[in-house]
Amino acid sequence: MSSTAVPLNPAGRPHDAAGLQDVVLVNKGLVKWHFIFGLTFMMTSMFGGLLVSLNFVHLYPFQGIEWLSVNRVRLLHTNEIAYGFLVNAFLGALYYAVPRLTGRAVAASWLGWLILGVWQFLMVATSVGQLLGFTQAVEWGETPTGFRPGTFQLEYIPVDFLVELGAVLVAIQFLVPIARSLHSRMYVSLWYVSAGFVWLILTYVMGNTLPEWAMAGSSGAATVGLFIHDLVGLFVTPMGWGLMYFFVPVILRTPIWSHALSVIGFWALAFFYPLNGVHHFLLSSIPMSVQYGAILSTMAVEIVVTTVVVNFFATMWGKGHALRTSLPIRWLYTGMVFYFITCLQCFFHTTLTVQKVIHFTDWVPGHAHLVMLGVFSFWLFGIIDWLWPRITGHEWHSRRLNHWHYWLSMLGLLIMFVDLLAAGLMNGYMLDALVPWMDMVRALFPFWAVRTFAGSMIVLGQCLWVWNLWQTARRPKPYDYRVDLVEPEVLATPAAAREEA
Amino acid sequence: MDRLSRVLLFAGFGCFAFAFVLSCLYPWLLTDGAAPEATIAQLAEHVPPDFKALKDGYPVSFAQAFPQSDVALTPRELLGVPADDARRAASEAAWRVAYADALQRGRDVYVSEGCWHCHSQYVRPVANEEQRFGPVLPAANDNNALQRPVLWGTRRVGPDLTHEGGLRSDDWQVAHLWNPQDTSPGSIMPRYTWFFRDGFQVRRRVAPDTAEREGLDPQASYPVPGVHASEAEAQAALERHRAGLPSSLAAEKDRLFVAPGREPNARGLSLVAYLQWLGTWQPLAAAAPAGVAP
Repeated sequence: MSSTAVPLNPAGRPHDAAGLQDVVLVNKGLVKWHFIFGLTFMMTSMFGGLLVSLNFVHLYPFQGIEWLSVNRVRLLHTNEIAYGFLVNAFLGALYYAVPRLTGRAVAASWLGWLILGVWQFLMVATSVGQLLGFTQAVEWGETPTGFRPGTFQLEYIPVDFLVELGAVLVAIQFLVPIARSLHSRMYVSLWYVSAGFVWLILTYVMGNTLPEWAMAGSSGAATVGLFIHDLVGLFVTPMGWGLMYFFVPVILRTPIWSHALSVIGFWALAFFYPLNGVHHFLLSSIPMSVQYGAILSTMAVEIVVTTVVVNFFATMWGKGHALRTSLPIRWLYTGMVFYFITCLQCFFHTTLTVQKVIHFTDWVPGHAHLVMLGVFSFWLFGIIDWLWPRITGHEWHSRRLNHWHYWLSMLGLLIMFVDLLAAGLMNGYMLDALVPWMDMVRALFPFWAVRTFAGSMIVLGQCLWVWNLWQTARRPKPYDYRVDLVEPEVLATPAAAREEA
Repeated sequence: MDRLSRVLLFAGFGCFAFAFVLSCLYPWLLTDGAAPEATIAQLAEHVPPDFKALKDGYPVSFAQAFPQSDVALTPRELLGVPADDARRAASEAAWRVAYADALQRGRDVYVSEGCWHCHSQYVRPVANEEQRFGPVLPAANDNNALQRPVLWGTRRVGPDLTHEGGLRSDDWQVAHLWNPQDTSPGSIMPRYTWFFRDGFQVRRRVAPDTAEREGLDPQASYPVPGVHASEAEAQAALERHRAGLPSSLAAEKDRLFVAPGREPNARGLSLVAYLQWLGTWQPLAAAAPAGVAP
């Protein structure tokens, strides 16, 4: 297809499939810059992860340097991927999706640039604080409170409370257009997004105050578990699914199979997901009734998830070739298959029988990587892949590199996942068998070496991709959106296309 | 559906609140809500010999880290002091203040270094964990200020530390923090060299006849506790030590010399104190059950 036929908008740039209204509603600058900052944090986070994995094979290069201590870099790895990459990329994608779903622009562009700036400042303050040793002992909430643990002595920037302020601004930014469009029917994505922002505010306040200043030990652990799971279940997951319900039908150019099922999925998630919290501390001194409740609701979530996944596969019915022809769709559906695997895994490993073996082992990091990278990051990779040429208006520098990105990330993650699962099982049974500790560490060495190898595959994939995105942004060749449209299969063959013409 | 939007909005808050009640308030009411949380001062009421030994072993760092050091006297320093001497009571009070300070600072280090990412602090009643690590503890044992925020952890790259206190000597802990591979060959734990300060130390060369008898290197030497900031201070310490030696050890006076040395700094000492505390505290309720006069 030649690029001569691309219609141009008044600004002289080719516009995309949705036509001119995009130019008015969507602030592409905000989308682009959130992606750019998100990808920057993704790269630092992934290099951090790779560094940490080197420690496990006795190759850590910064041994003895205080601010590059392994566990401080580990904090940078987890926090930058969650708050630096996921949140930035979610915001970028929402700046595209929400105005198009509501038909209204976001609350204010200046607010958007303010949020962008404030968020990056907070992320840098978080990472610097953690490398300097100002951290909070709450998993996934290590963002510095700024206070000495458990006291009111201020030692550092109170990042947590500023994050809270940022979350309120973000909620205003996106809830305003959603509220303005309330007269029309609310699509399920908007349910997810608006609930997610409100839940984030509540969750963040709870998780960063109660375990720190009010609840010690056992009840503190229950609260921390609730926080970890609310953060994943009531923020990351709603944002992810909200975007999936928007981008999958848009890219496939087909409506979602069942709206009723999608709303059922949303409310079931809202009810069961937060009840899972305590399953992070099973077989502990938290009352058993609470633990059993968490186990049962974890199992219930997996049943809900099945309905969601069925809905998406039914949406693709008859358009399966999109997996071959459209890389964004392949990312989104790969992520969804991984999501299903993750949840199936949860169904089994939340039981006390399996917990006994796998808790405290590498099984859990394996599971976490499948969720954070394999599901939510993969979804965002697909969304960025689809949006990047539309946002920059430039044709891809190299489509082949995008495929390298896919295969390196996907295979790297699969290898890491299977490897950590195996390591976890072995470690669990060795603990049970009272194998001396150092023998266990030595036995795990090969697994950790494979993990480093798989990690380098993933990091290499991201390097190629980020370089490709950068080159694409600099490239003058305009983007022809028709190249990426998912056509009915009959039109996908060159002969049929000629006939059509 | 659309007309129900506002109802559903409250349902959304309701889901959050329901989970909050079930997984936060309810367990709190059942466990920690029943008894007040123990303060750090309460935890530090009984000062263990491990902590006092830190002053004997690392006197210069200890004095820098804990201003109470002048009054808090170790059993060695109290030798010959009468039982009813005011110094003994003052010493005990000073020890408690210093110990509470050390525990809190040690916990801060444990948090800021992310120790809890690789070491758990809870033993489960399964998988032979009681045999490996020690007894399972009830919720009451963790209802104290040092477990806020909770340091149970979710991963064991290294062993559980619930019952670490008193399991190994102070010196083992110090050596392990300097280089874990020295004490546990093959360990992947990073070195914590920033828990140490460099300086100059008085050393005592081994007596020639002892070296010959024991088959030691005649140049072998042993450190006299105390690493000083400058060579001059170490030299002054050497003179004091030399003057303090009894005439029966006159030969030793010539075998003293000053050499570069290293000992844990305030952070290192506090962390060791915290590690040696883990698992040693019994909640008041367990020590004296209700209805039993103390």
